[in-house]
Amino acid sequence: MLMKTIGGVIVIAATSMWGHEAAMRIGNGYKELQYLQKLLYLLRGEILYARSYLGEAFMQIGQTAKSPYREWLLGLCGRMDKERDATFAEMWEESTKACLEASGLPKKEILRLASFGSRLGIADAGMQIKTLDLYLEEIRLSMEEMREEMRTKIRLCHCLGVMSGIFITVLLI
Amino acid sequence: MLNDRLLRVLPRNVRLAVSRERLEDSCMQELRLRVGKPLLMIYCGSERMIGKERDGPYIVTKEDVKEMLEYVGNFSLYAYEQEMKQGFITIEGGHRVGITGQAIIEDGRVKNLRHISSINLRMSHEAVGCADLVFPYITQEGRLCHTLIVSPPGCGKTTLLRDMIRQISDGNRWVGGMTVGVVDERSEIGGCFRGVAQNNLGIRTDVLDGCPKAEGMSMLIRSMSPAVLAVDEIGSAQDVHAIEHAMHCGCRMLATIHADSMEDLRKKPLIDRMVAEKRFDRYILLGKRQRVGQVGGLFDSRGNLLYREAAGEPC
Repeated sequence: MLMKTIGGVIVIAATSMWGHEAAMRIGNGYKELQYLQKLLYLLRGEILYARSYLGEAFMQIGQTAKSPYREWLLGLCGRMDKERDATFAEMWEESTKACLEASGLPKKEILRLASFGSRLGIADAGMQIKTLDLYLEEIRLSMEEMREEMRTKIRLCHCLGVMSGIFITVLLI
Repeated sequence: MLNDRLLRVLPRNVRLAVSRERLEDSCMQELRLRVGKPLLMIYCGSERMIGKERDGPYIVTKEDVKEMLEYVGNFSLYAYEQEMKQGFITIEGGHRVGITGQAIIEDGRVKNLRHISSINLRMSHEAVGCADLVFPYITQEGRLCHTLIVSPPGCGKTTLLRDMIRQISDGNRWVGGMTVGVVDERSEIGGCFRGVAQNNLGIRTDVLDGCPKAEGMSMLIRSMSPAVLAVDEIGSAQDVHAIEHAMHCGCRMLATIHADSMEDLRKKPLIDRMVAEKRFDRYILLGKRQRVGQVGGLFDSRGNLLYREAAGEPC
């Protein structure tokens, strides 16, 4: 009986941990999106006030950014400086997908960010700022949506973790 | 071989075609890309088509032009909005990239260009020592005369101005080293990259890069107290006013202007008054009858000919 109790406790603890982990992942996705929003605001400032080239702006922002955004931005800046074998949109898409895959950003957001490269570097500064503003607005709406769903999802993950543990324990006993 | 700076701005296919030609950097003058037309260049003073003999000339595509614009604009064309309005962008090394396409008009003025159809890459060359010939005539007892370089496009006025600046700044047998302020509105004189001149402009030269000439001249006078002020391609009323102001402040002026001849210069509005008032002490008229940068005539303020380069005389 003691063994069964210990086993049951271990199963419930393990599934609860899984639930907690899933809940953490949801929270992290939101935090990462918030961080990306901050980086894009910095990019907007660099373009609006300093009229920096994208390469310069990436270098400036990348130096103070956390990993993996740092590697993403500095790598992109390096490629733009050295390589002249691809368009900006191609370089942006490749490095976004490669560097930010493990960042914790929701997959949908990574894909949206990867396709945003084709809207960067256009000839009109005012238009460029508006394009960035539009994307920032899209991120804000995504974050709002996530925030609304997040609380329920986190609670659901915790409950599911504990409940599935109990359910497995009952089945095994 | 063409240097990396130039190759970097060329689209992949054009780069390949140009690389096959085994061209010398110093002889390359212009490269012209026109959508749907053969790739042309001016090499050692003559026009040449690029491409394999067997396949015919390389035909420039819309994608080539689009790709080149990305490279020229460092993938950030919005940062070149002002330059695009004027129809050209200056790249690292002072090379000028001229652009034509469809103009976007706002309030009756050109706001930007779109549907770019032609690109002309004009190489900037440093010709060290090309100003040696003119120094005996533009100096008087160790003092530099107010000098205007008059030349049609493509005759080497910026190259001559650049070498004059370098020699005045470093000092030579005609003048002692002087502080030179350069207002480089189009980044052609210094070929500035991130604010630092890539061309040798001498040890006493301060460059104000990308700044409108008239405003830049006043800024330099206030901030750097230059003994000599140098500007390229004057013409507007503000430029003339700023030059007069600089002359009154005691600065010696070096400037360039587009004109075919002295007669042509006297017909230019605003400039005619400066000529009549003898604001400039010397006029250097450039041509390209025998070679680019040939001194067609060096005149004093009254229009008397002081010097003319003989045929075959080396620069």
